[in-house]
Amino acid sequence: MHPWNSTVGSASLKLMLKLLPRLFQRRILIEDSMKSKVASLFIAQMALPPPDPQFVLRGTSAAVHTLHFNCGGQEPDVPILFSGSENGFIHVWNLKTHRVDTALDGHGRRSVYCVETMGSKDRLLSQGRDQRICLWDLAEGRTSVTDSVFTENVGFCRCSLLKVAQGRWLMAMAAKALEEVQVLELPSKTSVCTLKPEVGAKLGMPMCLNLWQVCRTHELVNPGISDITIRPDKKILATAGWDHRIRIFGWKKMKPLAVLDFHTATVHCVSFSDHKNPKERLLAAGSKDHRISVWSIYTQT
Amino acid sequence: MAVLDTPQEAFAALRPVCVQLTKAQTLENVARLQAGLAAVSAPALQELQEYVLFPLRFALKVPGPKQERLVQSVVQCITAVLATTRVKKQELLQELFSELCTCLSPLSGSSKKASASEELKLAVIQALHALMHSACEDVILSLYQPSTLPLLGFAVSLLLGLADQEKAKHIKISALQCLQVLVLQCDCQEHRPLDEGEMQQCGDLFASFLPGISITLSQVITGDIKQGHKATISAIRLFYLVVGSVMADAQLARVTKNKEKPPAERSQIRELMVHRGPDWSRSTAEKLSILLQKVVEFSSVHPHWKVRLELVELVQHLLRSCSQSLVGSFSHLLTALVGLVNDENSDVQSRCNEVLRGIAEQRIVVQNRALADILSENLHALATTLPRLMNSQDDAGKVSTLSLLLGYLKLLGPKINIVLNSASHLHRLSKALMQVLELDVTDVKIVEDRRCGPAGSLQHGQSKGRDQKKYFRFFTEEKVFQLLQQVCRVLGYYGNLYLLVDHFLGLYGESGLYRKQAAMVLNELMAGAAGLGVDVLRKREVSLDVDDLKGSITSILDEYTDQSNWYLITSIDAEEISHEHTVQRPGRAAHTGGVCSSVLLPSPEPQLTTRTMNSNIWQICIQLEGVSCFTAILGKEFRLLLLSTLYPVLEKAGDDTLLISETALGTLVDMCEACGYDSVQHLINENSDYLVNGISLNLRQLAHQAHASQVLDTMLRHSDASLLPLVEDVIQDVLSTLDQSYSNQASTFLRVLHSVMTALVQWFCLPRGEEHQESPAAEWRSRALSQGQQVVTAHEVEQFFLDYIQQKQIAEGNLPDTGDEEADEDPPLAELQPNGSDPDGETPLPSHAQLAKDVMERCIHLLSDGNLRVRLKVLCTLAQNCGDFLRQRFSKDVLPKLTSSLLSQAPASARAGPVYNHTLAFKLQLAVLQGLGSLCEKLDMGESDLDKVADACLMYLSAKQPLKLQEAAQSVFFHLMHMDPDSTWLLLNEVCCPHQYNPPHTSLRPVKLSGMGRQRNEFTDNVLLLLERLQQRESATPRAGTREASPP
Repeated sequence: MHPWNSTVGSASLKLMLKLLPRLFQRRILIEDSMKSKVASLFIAQMALPPPDPQFVLRGTSAAVHTLHFNCGGQEPDVPILFSGSENGFIHVWNLKTHRVDTALDGHGRRSVYCVETMGSKDRLLSQGRDQRICLWDLAEGRTSVTDSVFTENVGFCRCSLLKVAQGRWLMAMAAKALEEVQVLELPSKTSVCTLKPEVGAKLGMPMCLNLWQVCRTHELVNPGISDITIRPDKKILATAGWDHRIRIFGWKKMKPLAVLDFHTATVHCVSFSDHKNPKERLLAAGSKDHRISVWSIYTQT
Repeated sequence: MAVLDTPQEAFAALRPVCVQLTKAQTLENVARLQAGLAAVSAPALQELQEYVLFPLRFALKVPGPKQERLVQSVVQCITAVLATTRVKKQELLQELFSELCTCLSPLSGSSKKASASEELKLAVIQALHALMHSACEDVILSLYQPSTLPLLGFAVSLLLGLADQEKAKHIKISALQCLQVLVLQCDCQEHRPLDEGEMQQCGDLFASFLPGISITLSQVITGDIKQGHKATISAIRLFYLVVGSVMADAQLARVTKNKEKPPAERSQIRELMVHRGPDWSRSTAEKLSILLQKVVEFSSVHPHWKVRLELVELVQHLLRSCSQSLVGSFSHLLTALVGLVNDENSDVQSRCNEVLRGIAEQRIVVQNRALADILSENLHALATTLPRLMNSQDDAGKVSTLSLLLGYLKLLGPKINIVLNSASHLHRLSKALMQVLELDVTDVKIVEDRRCGPAGSLQHGQSKGRDQKKYFRFFTEEKVFQLLQQVCRVLGYYGNLYLLVDHFLGLYGESGLYRKQAAMVLNELMAGAAGLGVDVLRKREVSLDVDDLKGSITSILDEYTDQSNWYLITSIDAEEISHEHTVQRPGRAAHTGGVCSSVLLPSPEPQLTTRTMNSNIWQICIQLEGVSCFTAILGKEFRLLLLSTLYPVLEKAGDDTLLISETALGTLVDMCEACGYDSVQHLINENSDYLVNGISLNLRQLAHQAHASQVLDTMLRHSDASLLPLVEDVIQDVLSTLDQSYSNQASTFLRVLHSVMTALVQWFCLPRGEEHQESPAAEWRSRALSQGQQVVTAHEVEQFFLDYIQQKQIAEGNLPDTGDEEADEDPPLAELQPNGSDPDGETPLPSHAQLAKDVMERCIHLLSDGNLRVRLKVLCTLAQNCGDFLRQRFSKDVLPKLTSSLLSQAPASARAGPVYNHTLAFKLQLAVLQGLGSLCEKLDMGESDLDKVADACLMYLSAKQPLKLQEAAQSVFFHLMHMDPDSTWLLLNEVCCPHQYNPPHTSLRPVKLSGMGRQRNEFTDNVLLLLERLQQRESATPRAGTREASPP
């Protein structure tokens, strides 16, 4: 499915529509007339060839659909990467040993496409194709689902989580009706509101959701992109391409910075880590080829 | 003679003799008295002591010149009396003492001292010795009063004179021993220890003699070496006993500031007395320092070990009792001690170590600032001169210098950091280490030694890969290296680890000249820091925790495994490969121009290149040793670092250079031990995910592909089916990499493809036809079944594999010339492929089968690879694996062509001249002949085919054929003999039969062979040769089954 057929964050539709032509223009320019020039420019700008991944995590044995870092903790907490894969497992990767600490199985072997932590690495939220959103308690080595929400939604739309107070979160998710968005409070699961489109507005199925408090959101769409992430410091962004490549852009001017070529299948998701020290920050990309590549990139800027 | 027990009896017996002696002092009378004394018991003699002594003393006191012999015998007699009795009266003691002394003194007015005979001198010394021992405790102290100072002084100077001047060894020694008794420091245990006050008193007295004693003794010690070690030893002992008692800190501390006036003393005596005030002790210490230096310098190199041992005692005694008063001399004393730590004699060594440990334990150094200052000053000085010394000294000199350095470091202990914190001194120290540790890299053998045996055979040579002997440029003795090791370890043990690691990593990066040495030092530093193999005198207060160590080790390992330090050119082949790639090689550009112009000439500086390669090899080895060392330090903690180190080490284990691969294997074994794995295999198996990561990343770089494939190869051999999900994508990577570089990398990847297939077969095809068994493969299958997939039969997989094997063999063929002609034999192979492939291509294959299929598809491409030669050997391998099918095809299609071509060509080659050897036809013939034999054997051809072959080849046994063809034809027959000896025999005999075969019984018809009785022809020689071989073969091997089975 091509993303812009239906990719509509219901609130940011207009903004995206505004951006779209411009992006198209850029794309065409690059692809046709200036291809060679740009290519040479590209090489000149990057004196160094694009780097190799810092390491590659293997062993999910299924396509990786979502990634989530948890690296902000102090010693002796080890940095952790959560990955959700097609076979319904959530793997908890220890980024020190580069091995799976635990594999969580809570979605009945159906694809997991969203993993988020709630505050600490011990509370995890995951959403799967079994139409459930699970809340996990991972403290002290437990691997149990504490609670779950049945979304009744058949789409691919990830839920969105927003912390409103200590121990309280708002979660937006696509609801049963195709065009509806439901907002719940967690962990109490009380429904806060339901967003319904105006009668007669022909909006598509929600594919992407975002909750925000400060309204500073940009949406960027490139053909063939399955995921996009902005680094927390808002300097660069990374896109996961259907062409098996990860592209890095400068955030301000959307300047292409690097093309990371490693995967042999569609890249499904990209994620930046939340390391406290900017130099340790990592970029992880999960792909259909069952691999998660971890990169250390542009840490100096 | 009966013993006279009672005084009365004794008196009765001795009286006449004594009277006689008093009347006439003759030798005979003295002798008679002595004889009488022997019969008297000790208690009785004690009663009569003074009575007996009287005539003897009288004899000495008689005015006028005396006969020396008489004096000697009188003195000996006195000695005999004193030996069994005790002197209980002060007066007697003092009088006897002075009388004995006068015996040796030159008579007033005349200087006849020189005339005294050796025997007399000895007798007097012994008498004095006996007197000192026979005197009672309270009595003897009366001798050590200020009032008797002149008397004592007289005796001391007398004995000193003897010790110094006398030539005879025994007199010298006994004089020294007597002096020792005289200063109340006798070795024997009889004496009561003096209390503090008495000691103080004696010390005051002896202080007067100190200058004389010390000077004379130092002369004796440093005197002629011919005097023997015993005299030197006694002199040293006396020296330190006297100095130790006079300069004792405890006594000096009690000396009052102002000179007391001893009551009621004569002014003369008062002048003689010395007041041991601060001024006096300072000036005396200065003077003693000079003497001590002389003594130490002389005796520390004394050839006899007991002297050196005594020197250690001297140092120990003085350090213990005079650590404050003699502080100025400590640098000499410690130098001596530290230098003797590594003495060649083990007694000296152990005693020295003991003393040093004692010093360290008593914290003399740490608490005594002055001493620490002296030590660090010495260390400074040594560090400054070290580079020069290392340059100029010979091995023995280096040993002593380094043991000195080591000793200082050990003694300083934690205070090392004072020195290390001074940048210039650290710099000098490290420079010296760099200089002396320079390796000798001229050995060509190291570069040439190649690893034999298959790649990745890890079990091979595990034990011998340890501790490669290094050859150094500036020294050859192992001892020097051990010392250097210890120096580094002690530095690591006490020193600031961060500072040191930082400094030496700086040197490591600074220049290629220092890199190996710096790596060596770093390895040892870390070992020392962890307290491994380090020999120290005192435990450090705070030992480093594991995190600190790990931090340092991680940064060192990062540096070691950095591309520019890990991938070095170690062989010429490697150079060629890397030439095209991006490995940085500084200084290379200058040479390329020259090389290009004249390819045939050796490279401009072959010496240099060998050296560089040797040096690179050593660097890698040292780095590998470092990894070993670090694993030992961290133990199981090292598991975390396996992530970054296992791959590089494994890569080196497959290196072609023998030294490197052995060292790397050793490292792997160490890793196993440290990290708690049972075997290398276990290690690899458990950490295959790390390896896979390294492999897939390295595959992306052209220069490292070969290594990566080697590692993959090794890994596949050591893993099981559980690995498949992990390696699956890597194998795909390999294949796609192969797709991109058929032309230059194909050969490197073939091995991997082979091991992939072997592994697959091993993992999944073991239970052929027994799918229901409880094996992993069977489980796998059942799972596949449950998922509704069609299972590929074992046969298919096997077929894939067989195909692969064939094609791999094809690809490996390296025959230079014949290949192209035989290329037309290949179609059968290609036809095999569809036979083996899945009949129902639509259903997805299990991943292992899919993988196998992918590999096979690559192999098809390889078949058409232009670079890879093909030859008949390929067919042999095919035959081995494909059996019937191929045999059919071969006998139907190939063999007729071959034989007919051979037959048709035979006349041509028989006629041809020497030029024929260079024609294509000749080469073709040769190749066919060379391969045909083994091919037949492998294919297990039938009778008729063999006949055809034999017929065709027979033509080539002709002597007219070119020699090479004859040999090749012979080889065919050898193979035939192997397969079917009987028919071959028959055939050969048809041509030529050397023997007449007579039947064993007349009823049997005589054997007639067509070859019998023929004239010698062109075939005879070769046939006879073959028959002979056949004969040998048959007699060597018992009749095999082939024989019975063969003729129809």
